[in-house]
Amino acid sequence: MNKKRGFGLLAKQKAAGWAFLTPASLLIFAMSFYPMVRAFITSLQTGPAAKLKWAEPIFKNYTRMVNDKVFLTAMGNTFLYLAIQVPIMLILAILLAQLLNNKDLKFRGLYRTLIFLPCATSLVSYSLIFKTLFAREGLINSILMGLGIIQENVNWLGTSTTAKAVIIIALLWRWTGYNMVFFLAGLQNIEYSVYEAASIDGANGWKTFWHVTVPLLRPVIVMTGIMSINGTLQLFDESVNLTSGGPANATITMSHYIYNNALGQGVANFGYASALSFIVFILVGILAFINLKVGDTRD
Amino acid sequence: MTKKLLALIMALCLVLAATSALAETLTVTAWDNNFNGNALRAAEADYKANVDPDFALDITIGSGSSDVENAVTNAGSSGDYSLLSDIVLFQDRYIKNFVENYPDAWVSLEGADINWDDITAVKQSYSTIDGVHYGAPVDNGTVITAYRVDLLQEAGYTIEDMKGITWDKFLEVGKAVYAKTGKALLSMDGSGNDLPYMMLQAEGVSLWKDGKPFVVGNEKLKRVIEILTEMEKEHVLILANDWTGYTNETIVGDQVAGVINGNWIIPTMTQVTENTGKWQITSMPTLDGGEGYATNGGSSLYITGNCKNVELAKKFLAYTFGGSKQTYDEALRTGGVVTCSISAGQSEVYGEGVAFFNNQPIYKDITEMGSKIIPVEESPFHYVLRGYLGVAMQQIKDGADIDTALKEAEDACLFYMEGMGY
Amino acid sequence: MSRKPAVSHIQRKLIPSYIFLTIVAFLSVFPLYWMFTAATNTSVEVARGKIWFGTNLVENYKNLIATDNLWQAMGNSFFYAVVQTLAALLVCSLAGYGFELYHDKGKDKLFAILLLAMMVPQVATLIPLFTMVSQLKLLNTVWAFIIPGISTPFLIMMFRQNSRNFPIDTLEASRIDGLSEIGIFFRMYFPMMKSTYAAAAVITFMGAWNSYMWPRTVMKGNSVKTMPILVANMSNGYTVDYGMLMLGVLFASLPTILIFFILQKQFAEGITGSVK
Repeated sequence: MNKKRGFGLLAKQKAAGWAFLTPASLLIFAMSFYPMVRAFITSLQTGPAAKLKWAEPIFKNYTRMVNDKVFLTAMGNTFLYLAIQVPIMLILAILLAQLLNNKDLKFRGLYRTLIFLPCATSLVSYSLIFKTLFAREGLINSILMGLGIIQENVNWLGTSTTAKAVIIIALLWRWTGYNMVFFLAGLQNIEYSVYEAASIDGANGWKTFWHVTVPLLRPVIVMTGIMSINGTLQLFDESVNLTSGGPANATITMSHYIYNNALGQGVANFGYASALSFIVFILVGILAFINLKVGDTRD
Repeated sequence: MTKKLLALIMALCLVLAATSALAETLTVTAWDNNFNGNALRAAEADYKANVDPDFALDITIGSGSSDVENAVTNAGSSGDYSLLSDIVLFQDRYIKNFVENYPDAWVSLEGADINWDDITAVKQSYSTIDGVHYGAPVDNGTVITAYRVDLLQEAGYTIEDMKGITWDKFLEVGKAVYAKTGKALLSMDGSGNDLPYMMLQAEGVSLWKDGKPFVVGNEKLKRVIEILTEMEKEHVLILANDWTGYTNETIVGDQVAGVINGNWIIPTMTQVTENTGKWQITSMPTLDGGEGYATNGGSSLYITGNCKNVELAKKFLAYTFGGSKQTYDEALRTGGVVTCSISAGQSEVYGEGVAFFNNQPIYKDITEMGSKIIPVEESPFHYVLRGYLGVAMQQIKDGADIDTALKEAEDACLFYMEGMGY
Repeated sequence: MSRKPAVSHIQRKLIPSYIFLTIVAFLSVFPLYWMFTAATNTSVEVARGKIWFGTNLVENYKNLIATDNLWQAMGNSFFYAVVQTLAALLVCSLAGYGFELYHDKGKDKLFAILLLAMMVPQVATLIPLFTMVSQLKLLNTVWAFIIPGISTPFLIMMFRQNSRNFPIDTLEASRIDGLSEIGIFFRMYFPMMKSTYAAAAVITFMGAWNSYMWPRTVMKGNSVKTMPILVANMSNGYTVDYGMLMLGVLFASLPTILIFFILQKQFAEGITGSVK
């Protein structure tokens, strides 16, 4: 009798557990996975939105990508951003977090707040600000001219290398502080005694950083790494608002190109856009998986 | 507590929603508050004063023409057009494609009391589909070629010298202006601009032939691109990085001595008030000399499939944009909107001199130029090709071979069209 | 007496840190400073990159409220963002709590699957979601705005991580005291997790307040306009009044900045708990 009652309670608890996570899980299935299935079906179709019909052959939207020069350019650009911006940002963020984690440092809260602020700025203002700063007659050129570093105004957003650089700078500006907050949080979870032990062992600051801090921060690095990879592969706002993908598609990203196909140019090709976004989905998945495997070396 | 607050807020929203749904109200979506927004307000006041005192328009200003285009394509996938307003402003060059692909999204103007003989032929050529009228005209998009007379003078030229010249001559003047004043004679949006399209139109040639892009083998286009590249090299043309760079940096930033675009560009120019009286307008140069005329970016009003009061919408559009002098006079005064109605264009307001343009009666001149435009073939893939031509121009500027770059642009456009089953 | 030199010695060693942090802080804040100054200048001055305060603030405000219904858009944005934040906090914290404190193999697997949703590109689901919302007859309602953002893998993960700080003993003790399972969540868990809720609220509110693509797809018309849409509309006309636009941008940025300032201490604590 007593046993049975206990069993009932346990079942009740188990049911409660499932009940708690049901709304969230159902919503994710309905709002992310189901639309993905629908998008996959659309990716096998062609034509205007109101008159979609099955593609012939059925995977045509996938096979034609190979010949799509703009998409290949966009993919190259996106991976370049990924390869350059993400490591710089994460290292800078760890460095800043490390500096701010010093208990002797004054105004820590103020510094943290100010450095975090960029990611709270609205997108329109951020892109407008950067465009104006890097304009031909803009402030950056005036400063560089004043310092004698350049002789004539540089068209930052008008040449392919510098336009890419501006996008990377803008991304760094916006997201370094955000990632720093996560690292700072991670550092605060590390016991101070670990550092004391390290300094007794005679490790200098740099050694401590590489051999003590970084390994202990590994879970945070993996998390921010996945978030950044995901964000970069789906990069859209900067390409659209800062450079319009130009000059000559030198800065266009995959998501920007998908958007152009779906909604950007008057004649929408939902089928092809869906096929392209499936490729992005798969790429993010692969990279996140690699990141997890590489990060998960603790045994 | 939070529940009660929520309920209260929701109730408030319902009340707000209910009050805006009056019977004599039509909802309209447009995209430029100071331009076509003002034209709509002029029409609203006109109709209210002279036809129905209870009438009202609920005007939504979207972020651009793409707002309505996207809304229609989105809705097209589900067949639910309920987000469209009763009337929408739509780009002339796209409407044919959208009526064909999304027929349920539109209601024709059949039975509306409009004297179509009074509307310019070019305008009607866009909005008439299979002989059925769909659009009520708003602005005519006639291209103006504006020059800073004071800067021309410094270089030793007058506005009369610029009439009917060749592009080579334009380049020569441009070099002199740059040498004397440091300003470029022209600018364009380098990410894809309508300048090549307008220059071609002035020659009576299109970027399209029988529904396919006409780029390779289009000798006039090649000459246009060559001269533009030359102009860029000689500091006669500024290639801005994008649309805001074009308007914000080059025009408002006072870096140019000339502007060529649809006449809706005028409000951008007049922002620089210290240049009042220094500008004048004329027709476009052409490749072999002679005055050039073109149109770019005009739009019309269309009744949507979601309209709850089609009769009222037809009556309103016919009375106002069908040719009301009061509507068009006010639209011109407050928005600089130039009409396509031939009779309304003869109003005395059009003959008035405009202070910003050295008291030239520019609106009379614009209407006159508008009547000389030769319609050329349009395509729903206009923006796609325009974007790829922009890419080609950048590449040519950086030293790529012109024929290869143009071939690539055409191929890229064909690739896009092929994906849509064209 | 002897401590003072020690302190100043430490501070002297920190000088490079101060310099570096000050430069980074300056670079971070400068564009925001520019946003404030631009809101007080005329359009032409903004276009030419003036970086000092001007005298056109009142004029810009007058133009702004004449052009668009600013306060209605502020109200809409606020209402939508608050509703979305409340809904997301409730749903995701319940899930995070469930995943951590009731965890078993099945739930762990489900959690791993849910994490996959992080990788779903927004641009892919836009059209299918639009169709769903339109079939549910929710277009132009607050539900359309919030429904895709209520449950996010990131928030669930954050609550799940933080739930490790909730002692299992408390759970057991509350059960013995006769509290129901849901009662434990509201009476015991909720009050203990305040900083996690604060961090989650900051992130969700910022996301909801700034969201643009989705509302632009499912909300049309003046009565449902939000701040990002209002600002985007102003920035895309043939002619843009930059002074007025930047004032609009300022209004669109202030709430998120304020929320962060108010909740920053709790925010930092909440994040700390989530990376343990």
